[in-house]
Amino acid sequence: MSLERIREKLMEGIYLNVIKTKKFKSNSISFYFIRNLNEKEVTKNALIPLVLKRGTSSYENAMDIEKKLEELYGSNLSINVNKKGEKQVLRFTIEGPHKDFINMKNIFTEQLKILREVIYNPILENGVFLDKYVKQEKNNLKKKIKGRINNKKQYAVERCIEKMCKEEKYSLYKYGYIEDLDNISSKKLYKHYKTVLKRSPIEINVVGNVDSTFVKNSIEEIFTFEREEIINIPREEISRENIKVKNVKEELDINQGKLTIGYRTNIPYEDKLYEAFLVGNNILGGGPDSKLFINVREKESLAYYVFSKLLKYKSLMLITSGIEFHKYEKSLDIIKKQVNQMKKGNFNNDNITQAKNAIITSVKSLIDDNYSISEFYLTQTLTKDKRNIDEIIKDIENVSKDDIINAFNKIELDTIYFLKNKEANKEE
Amino acid sequence: MSIDVREQKKLKEALYFKELDNGLKVYFIPREDYTKQYAVFATNYGSNDNKFIPLGEEEPITVPKGIAHFLEHKLFEEKEGNIFSKFSDLGSYVNAYTNFNQTAYLFSCSDKFYENLKLLVKFVQNPYFTDENVNKEKGIIEQEIKMYDDNPNWKVFFNCLKAMYVNHPVKTDIAGTVDSIKKIDKETLYKCYNTFYHPSNMVLFMVGNINFDKALNVVKENIDRDIKEFHGEVKKITEKEPTTINKKIIEEKLSVSNPLFNIGFKDIDLGYTGDELLKRQLTTNILLDMLFGDSTKFYQSIYDEGLISGDFGTQYIGHESYGHSIIAGESDEPKKVLKRVKDHIINQRENGLNKEAFNRNKRKLIGYYLMDLNSVEFIANNFIKYHFNNTSILSYLDILENINYNDVKERFENLFDLDRLSISIIYPI
Repeated sequence: MSLERIREKLMEGIYLNVIKTKKFKSNSISFYFIRNLNEKEVTKNALIPLVLKRGTSSYENAMDIEKKLEELYGSNLSINVNKKGEKQVLRFTIEGPHKDFINMKNIFTEQLKILREVIYNPILENGVFLDKYVKQEKNNLKKKIKGRINNKKQYAVERCIEKMCKEEKYSLYKYGYIEDLDNISSKKLYKHYKTVLKRSPIEINVVGNVDSTFVKNSIEEIFTFEREEIINIPREEISRENIKVKNVKEELDINQGKLTIGYRTNIPYEDKLYEAFLVGNNILGGGPDSKLFINVREKESLAYYVFSKLLKYKSLMLITSGIEFHKYEKSLDIIKKQVNQMKKGNFNNDNITQAKNAIITSVKSLIDDNYSISEFYLTQTLTKDKRNIDEIIKDIENVSKDDIINAFNKIELDTIYFLKNKEANKEE
Repeated sequence: MSIDVREQKKLKEALYFKELDNGLKVYFIPREDYTKQYAVFATNYGSNDNKFIPLGEEEPITVPKGIAHFLEHKLFEEKEGNIFSKFSDLGSYVNAYTNFNQTAYLFSCSDKFYENLKLLVKFVQNPYFTDENVNKEKGIIEQEIKMYDDNPNWKVFFNCLKAMYVNHPVKTDIAGTVDSIKKIDKETLYKCYNTFYHPSNMVLFMVGNINFDKALNVVKENIDRDIKEFHGEVKKITEKEPTTINKKIIEEKLSVSNPLFNIGFKDIDLGYTGDELLKRQLTTNILLDMLFGDSTKFYQSIYDEGLISGDFGTQYIGHESYGHSIIAGESDEPKKVLKRVKDHIINQRENGLNKEAFNRNKRKLIGYYLMDLNSVEFIANNFIKYHFNNTSILSYLDILENINYNDVKERFENLFDLDRLSISIIYPI
């Protein structure tokens, strides 16, 4: 069962994508504002969702917004900021039950109205964001940025990327920087937000049992878009000249060492070899039957988790694992050997079939979840990929062993990052 | 073949059921327009079941902490190696989890469902433990435990359970400790397996675009025929838990940026199962939302004052032999939050609960449930949970809709005893 997307241009740089499906008991509506990731606005963009959640002109505080959402059968309003390659995407999503299952026939337009309130009618004083809210949320964002260290697995991965892409925008942290906060006033933030609204490319994705004409008419009736010249969102650079392998060790008070190894794949997502690398990556470290899992975990009991993943927009491969501090050399050695096995073509047709099947299953399953559907179409737009799911599956099926070997011979080791314990260091 | 069907017309859902001769119960909820097909094979056995009378024996034994989880890891091992590659051949995803009360083995696929089902039924019924493979697993699980030791949210939660409970095994980590798992050997694993993995103690649930008759035939053909018949119940022994708490406070330091806290209220009105238990769980969760939820003045004011930042939430967990409400969050001054919580409860007792807030929060839970039914994973995992508690995921909506304001009011009178309150705090190093 495949999906169909109806894509329509509403205005310059605003596209509506309606994905009609009867399988869900809910509808989801997402507005994506696409920005270039850069030092100038990364922290401001991260602060915006926090401030917008505080109140609108008709719902003056977060409590009133929440009450309204509860009345709409617990409709979920989520606003956040995400890094997609060297783009920063502001996402506003509302999801709530479909009208057929509840006593509220107009829930869809009610949800659109809440979105309009939160995005386009924030509560203001003297023509800018409320000072009180901005101050409080700067403080909360500061805590959030500091809170990075709480999730050690994630932290090690992010630090590896920061070291690896030091000279590139991709190293920027999606929630920004504490040093920027002092310089952000309510006035500056609001001015920036106005630019975001007027000049960002906007993608609106609606998933559910809805009629596309009805959706279009409702949006045009409820929203008034003021637009100016739309910013250009260039594609990321992916390759670097003369890579010198970086060895980075950092310390925290932790119980388990976190090892992350970063490679440049040098294969852009437009390349024919991209799918081949995807399959190879799965053979190397995709699941419990992968080379890394078998050799690092099952044979040597070095780790509970070990996997490799591909970062599509920047063409990076990261291998990550949690190990004993003193097993660093041994683990690194085994992981490198497994990567070499891939380069040499030491894997068989069964491995290839398994990897292809695993990827195909996950691509097919993506249409069982409305959030994944919405994100899938956003990715297709951002990467200018015209293929539908069946065509993607076909490309995966067509990958040959030679393609995988060729793909893996393009990769370059860039950074080895190890997060270790302060105590362990003293003992050495 | 006679199959029972239960329909929930309002939700456009149906549940199919068949009990096999050996006592195994098989259930199915159709999802014809989904790509994913999902099956879970689960036993009514989790980390809490540490003391029991083994099948065919007379005397109770106490087994090392974390053994149910250890057993879950080991079942993937077969004589010919581990079972992962067979599922990989079929392009499916296989996994398992152990919680306080259940162990579940599951797969999800988009093709060759019946072959996957055959593999699932076979491997769960085919334990293969050797001294060598048991020892090998200890290193892996040790790393799993250490991974959780680095997870401050996990730590703050378990410290709260340790503070509330004196004897009940719910206070021990599901995976056990590095020391306790070292005591696990193959003999004890077999003893646990033989006691708790009898088909009559298990359930098989499927969801997706599946032909139930065909699936039932696969199950019947592959179910172990040599298993001895067993009637009656597995004898689990639950330690007597006093109505008092163990400790008022547990504090620990970890590398976190801001202090984290869990405030726990021990519930002593226990002993409920089935629909009654589910009703109490839902009633209590509505009550928690009415008192501390995002739409309350209480939440709004502690947020406004900067006493808490973004992460703040509540949850009630209720089981036959234990129950607790937890308020969790991040704050520079957790003890101040605790004081505010106490004051707020006293205050609300005097002023009474707001009926309008009740209606809104009940409606919210109805919406959440409807949205959750989009996910086959949610359906499967919650089906298992409710089934072993003698109720059903399909009863959820009816039970929820029948909860009234007085139920919540009554619950409020008997909950949140300030003498049965513990707080767990993780401070930055």
